Amino acid sequence: MALTAALGSEQMDALNKCKVLMVGAGGIGCELLKNLVLTGFTDIELIDLDTIDVSNLNRQFLFRKEHVGKSKAEVAKESALKFNPDAKIKAHHDSIFSSEFGLDFFKGFTIILNALDNRAARNHVNRMCLAADIPLVESGTAGYLGQVNPIKKGVTECYECQPKPPAQKSFPGCTIRNTPSEPIHCVVWAKHLFNQLFGEEDPDEDVSPDTEDPELTADAGKAALDAEAKKDAIGGIERKSTRAWAVETGYNAEKIFNKLFRDDIKYLLSMETLWKERRPPQCLDFHDLPGKGNQSLSVRSTDVWSVQECADHFSRCVSKLKQDLAGRGDNGMLVWDKDDHHAMDFVTSVANIRAYIFGISLKSGFEIKSMAGNIIPAIATTNAIIAGVIVMETLKILAGKLDKCKQVYLNRVPNDRKRLLVPCALDPPKPKCYVCSSKPECSVRLNTSKVTVKTLQDKILKGHLNMIAPDVEIDDGKGTILISSEEGETEDNEEKFLSDFNVGNSTRLKCDDFLQNYTLVVIVVQEEKLEGDAEFEVVGDMSECHPAEDEAATSTNGVSSSAKQTTDEDDDLVVLDDLEIDDTKQAGVENSESRKRPAEDLEPPVMAKRRAAEGGDSEDVIEIS
Amino acid sequence: MEVGDNMETITEDEAELYDRQIRLWGLDAQRRLRAASILLIGLKGLGAEIAKNIILSGVKAVTLMDPNNIDEEDKMSQFFVSNAPIGQNRAVASAAPAQLLNPMVKVTADASDPSNKADDFFAQFDVICATGCKNSLQCRLDNLCQEKKIKFFSGDIFGFYGFMFSDLGRHEYLHEEIKKRKKDDDDKEDEGVTVTREVSNFSRLEDELKFDWTADTPGMKKKIRQTPSAFFITRVYEEFLELHGRRPSVATMEVDSKELQNLRILILNKLGVPAKCIPEDFYKYGFGELSPVCAIVGGVLGQEIIKAVSQKDAPLNNFFLFNGINDEGMVDKISL
Repeated sequence: MALTAALGSEQMDALNKCKVLMVGAGGIGCELLKNLVLTGFTDIELIDLDTIDVSNLNRQFLFRKEHVGKSKAEVAKESALKFNPDAKIKAHHDSIFSSEFGLDFFKGFTIILNALDNRAARNHVNRMCLAADIPLVESGTAGYLGQVNPIKKGVTECYECQPKPPAQKSFPGCTIRNTPSEPIHCVVWAKHLFNQLFGEEDPDEDVSPDTEDPELTADAGKAALDAEAKKDAIGGIERKSTRAWAVETGYNAEKIFNKLFRDDIKYLLSMETLWKERRPPQCLDFHDLPGKGNQSLSVRSTDVWSVQECADHFSRCVSKLKQDLAGRGDNGMLVWDKDDHHAMDFVTSVANIRAYIFGISLKSGFEIKSMAGNIIPAIATTNAIIAGVIVMETLKILAGKLDKCKQVYLNRVPNDRKRLLVPCALDPPKPKCYVCSSKPECSVRLNTSKVTVKTLQDKILKGHLNMIAPDVEIDDGKGTILISSEEGETEDNEEKFLSDFNVGNSTRLKCDDFLQNYTLVVIVVQEEKLEGDAEFEVVGDMSECHPAEDEAATSTNGVSSSAKQTTDEDDDLVVLDDLEIDDTKQAGVENSESRKRPAEDLEPPVMAKRRAAEGGDSEDVIEIS
Repeated sequence: MEVGDNMETITEDEAELYDRQIRLWGLDAQRRLRAASILLIGLKGLGAEIAKNIILSGVKAVTLMDPNNIDEEDKMSQFFVSNAPIGQNRAVASAAPAQLLNPMVKVTADASDPSNKADDFFAQFDVICATGCKNSLQCRLDNLCQEKKIKFFSGDIFGFYGFMFSDLGRHEYLHEEIKKRKKDDDDKEDEGVTVTREVSNFSRLEDELKFDWTADTPGMKKKIRQTPSAFFITRVYEEFLELHGRRPSVATMEVDSKELQNLRILILNKLGVPAKCIPEDFYKYGFGELSPVCAIVGGVLGQEIIKAVSQKDAPLNNFFLFNGINDEGMVDKISL
């Protein structure tokens, strides 16, 4: 066999015995499956919940147009079998979070290869691999950049050893509701409006003017409110939900338009303090809009629509979305999806109308989709290179040469030492990692009399600490159960505050996730008030306590100006933030400035890291100039 | 690659299909891609990877050319034909599966030998990429390409090792840089994209290979030390190919291993570089074409073709050298 000769018989033996699990069959996954099958892996299982979309076809080469809508896992398997019909491939069109894929499932594999596109799944697989003590090769790409990261329990850092900046950049409510200054602020507002009108109502996504804007003195806001209350404008500033009001008007596009873009703006204008040093917004009337009289309605996603065109698209989309909503029955709701044309056009038109009002530049539907859909650009070549590197690292792990494994970064341009692919030594586990250390602990700053048990469960443990179904017990000597993963057991606790259970400063909460085989002690740090009115802040080890880092999120990609505020939930996320933090660590300073380094500046930290890690290798270190 | 004002705009269908890449390189780059005709010589593992990458990207036309037939080694990396019967012509057998990747690209096959083609034949292409070719043929095509202002690429894979070479002549491209700017009114930083027109000058492969390594100076010692090992290693394989008209083969592994060891000495002497430039056991890792190595070099090479055609972003000038033994993937220019 040619392959045996090329790889050597020892490597081939290891490979023949290997049972590999691939998590994800998207951009990296398609390339990886091809490489695995051709390199002689014959026992492969793959999991992917996703179905094929047209926008995948520029890079996910195992899929074709006729496969759109079908399971990625299934089609990838069928296509890859053509490369080698003797390979044994099992496809699961399912979620990796499913309890079907528990510890025993993971223990059945020799190695796990991640080809994922979101952090939640990466965290989960990381924990499963730690619990099962199976080596994991983690990977990610974004545009031209990519990385591969071999992980082995007790030997290397785990995926969660380094804290990651927040997945999504958030903006202060008053910026979104009162004083937008960037296109993204209008896009966020438009998405909130979609949810208010057609989706799940979230009080945090209010779209009406915010009278509690800290810039307003209490008096000014109140005066405006009082003045407005006297007016009997339709849908003025009644304390009624936007949804209820819209339903009453029968989703009349003109009425909705005039409320949002005329009456609410008038009201905003009455908050005069806001406009002392800002350009005041400009009210619009549905029947008198810029661009009126142009006959043809542009539908091209690369054009920037006039305000009149936006209003026309708005009317069209509202009536269509109203129908869609009606089709969901009573209490039905729509979920915003960037690939739903009406939902997308709704956001494009609303964001642009609002942008016009506030003197912000208008954007094409194509650009707005990037922002609203958190789209990370993705190309075939980067995925091919990274999938190639994954297999190179996998071969070393299977041959028992973990010591030869590297973290490998793909740069956009070669660094000062000519490297396009930059190999870095693997770091040992972080002793205080709240996931892979022997007794995981982390501190959470919060106000126990304001945080409910439900918030603890949904936002902190599931949302932030990535547990799937936590059981929580107070370490108070009595073993009070706060949250049970069994349905119906602790529902009554949900709306109560933590202080109702005598949870206070230094209380230890034992949080256990059965599926992940993971127990974490959460230490409560009582704080009356947090920066930026945050509900809580997870600080890992208290000694690393530092202020919230909003801006860190903007630097995670450095890929395209349009994908700036995003990181998660689309294609092939890269986790370049590791690098920035490495830099901080190498420099030996906890300097928040250096963590904001954009990904474009990849080389310096890598160099620093490599110099430190392989200091003895003089061949490689001397000439940096 | 004529990109004039009359060039059609991208259709909505194309915008949808190429959405994720247009978001990276922009509409203009995509338009230029759509106008490019490419000749791809050599349809082994590396050729298949390159074909896949450029066909997916949406170029105008790709001609697959290979005079040779599918052999046993194709099973380990040539995914178009890894399950096809041995003995069919590689280019012909690859064309149909390659076409399926993107119906908008015109894919054709040519089973003739590129070395028998007259110079005029090559003039119809915007890009010529030669894989698995003898050095002498690579040099001839490179010189021809420069004469006819065609972008030239070559590359090959030997087991864990691989290289890419590019000669874009005098290449103009747009360089985008995201710069942070301080806004006047507050502390917020704003990011603006600055676009500049840049030029990169390339050298001929012939001249790169003629480079004299023998100067006994500290500068030369440093240069030799900094030159990626895969450069010297792949020289040995290129020499083998030139002398024997074939690649080292698994079927004749023992004999070929001996010959590779002999050629190592020959190359070291010919170049006048120290023995450590080519590890003694290098020959153990150079049989066949490993699929992941093809994916890495073919990914880089494919992206360089896309850059050359779209005239967007700084090209790699002019070797990319990969050594899978130590994960090194480096860019180097031999002549200064």
